[in-house]
Amino acid sequence: MADSNKEISEYVTLVSNDDFEFEVLRSAACISGTMRKAFDPASGFKETTQNRMKFENINGVILEKVCEYLYYNQKWADAKNVPDMEIPPELCLELLMTADFLNC
Amino acid sequence: MDLYRKPKKLPGQLENCELCDKRFTVTPYNKAGPDGGLLCTPCGKEMMKDAKAAEKAKKPAVRKGRRKIESNRLDGLTFRGSKTLQQLCIQKLAAHAEDIEEFGDMPDHIMGRLSEIFSKKRAMTSNTFKLFLQPGMDTVAIHEAAYLETEDYDQIFAVVPNIRKLALRNCCQFKDSNMEYMIEKAQRLTDIQLLGANLVSNDKWIDLFIARGHDLKSLKVEWLDAAFDDQAVEALVTFCPNIERLKIERCKQLGVESIDALTRLHKLQHLTLRFFQEVPIERVINLIGHVGANLRTLCLEHFLDGSDEPNDNILEAIHTTCHKLEKFRFTENHECTDQGYTNLFTGWANPPLRYADVNSTRDLDNANPEGPQDNPVGLATNGFLALMQHSGSALEFLDISSCRHIGYEAFAHIFDGEKQYPRLQEINLSFCPVVDTQIVAGIFRSCPKIKKVVTFGCFQVMDVVVPSGIVLIGAPKAQDAIEQFGEVVMDFQETMKGLDAAGRVAPVGA
Repeated sequence: MADSNKEISEYVTLVSNDDFEFEVLRSAACISGTMRKAFDPASGFKETTQNRMKFENINGVILEKVCEYLYYNQKWADAKNVPDMEIPPELCLELLMTADFLNC
Repeated sequence: MDLYRKPKKLPGQLENCELCDKRFTVTPYNKAGPDGGLLCTPCGKEMMKDAKAAEKAKKPAVRKGRRKIESNRLDGLTFRGSKTLQQLCIQKLAAHAEDIEEFGDMPDHIMGRLSEIFSKKRAMTSNTFKLFLQPGMDTVAIHEAAYLETEDYDQIFAVVPNIRKLALRNCCQFKDSNMEYMIEKAQRLTDIQLLGANLVSNDKWIDLFIARGHDLKSLKVEWLDAAFDDQAVEALVTFCPNIERLKIERCKQLGVESIDALTRLHKLQHLTLRFFQEVPIERVINLIGHVGANLRTLCLEHFLDGSDEPNDNILEAIHTTCHKLEKFRFTENHECTDQGYTNLFTGWANPPLRYADVNSTRDLDNANPEGPQDNPVGLATNGFLALMQHSGSALEFLDISSCRHIGYEAFAHIFDGEKQYPRLQEINLSFCPVVDTQIVAGIFRSCPKIKKVVTFGCFQVMDVVVPSGIVLIGAPKAQDAIEQFGEVVMDFQETMKGLDAAGRVAPVGA
């Protein structure tokens, strides 16, 4: 019972390479194409059973921003004229690379 | 009504101000207060100020939103939901272009997108453009190079000597010296696109063709006024026989001799031509006869014979010679008849086209806007039916704007909501006067993949309910927004929804 609950848990955990953990809604995490594939029960990755994904090349600061974006995206999913999310210029390049990796 | 209210005081009488209760002499200029009484001069002034400020605050907000939407639409950004994180980051980067020192290792497609955005924002200056030069690259594409100086162009070849593809648009300061340096340094160039390089002399163009010779695969030149004449084209054909992709548009010096020279390019697969000078149509036909059989792209814009009689020979030549076309553009022509187009598309051995653009093929006679009835000029009813019969199954892009002689029945028959055009994404019906709401609705139903419908000047299109995911551009009434974004999910869309949603909506766990 506990196991089957785990498989479709509402929240998933994202872990940065410096061991910061972020609990986010599964639906939000799945906005990222990479995470959607990883957490898709049909994919058979180990992330699907653990509901946890470790990013070896993303640090906590960037991952926090990514999480912020995922919720921002979910919040405004059906809205028109969405205000842009604030991104600190110094994070831009790194965040861009990460966004490319995560496909979001 | 309040019958007990005191009558309004006339000018010259005394009254108490409605707001501050001060007593004042009434003049014709006193403002009415919020409850209908009179205000003293200072209070009146104060109220006007507030009203004006409120009005000002309102106006720009509305306009800005509209302008922004339009701009986003042209950028191909989504108009619903938020931007992707990549888009947000790229925007931010472009805004802070001056402060960046280097990009580091960027994936190519992100680099390309950044370059496009910098160009669009006119931020591609001598400083910022160095960000886009990295020794390992094989492509340099600067879409707006107008701010670059002569020395900057040398930088490209100094930093990126292994460059294979070069695309510079509006490279006004690209000079002979740059060309020399490019010939010397960039030994692997195979694709060259130079727009508006007017400071390069004819001899240097010829030098380039001699130097690149058999390696040159693709050449695109546009907007050349003073140089690049028939001799240059002759040299191109002589020294670069392996050219596969050639685009020559709006080069003022070129004439018949160039057309004749091109007949010898037997490896051509993509050919785009637009000349300023008039070329006898039989020379163009001759060209098609020589190179047409291998062509996958054929774009002929504004090629006219200048004779009074309608003449379909060129369409006939395409019908008999070209059997591999995917993209076909034949525009601004008032000499080929509907019969000619019908013959072209009927029983054509060519597989269905992916891209068809026959805009502005119509009769030109102000006195007779309907054109000749018995033998219509331009792509008209029968030609359109034949085109859709031939290519409807594969067509992704269709432009028939200003094909004024296509009849209502033809549209109603093609877009009846039953027949399906499974790949059609974009259609331009502007200035086809018979198109009405019914037909636009038919398009929504007949084309499951449609993204964009353009109907400028179709005055019978009104009050269309646009399905979600589709944009209708060109609403005729001034008070409507130019583009209408679909919001309603229609019944016929429900079935497709499950398939499309996969890309966007995430499976939500319990």
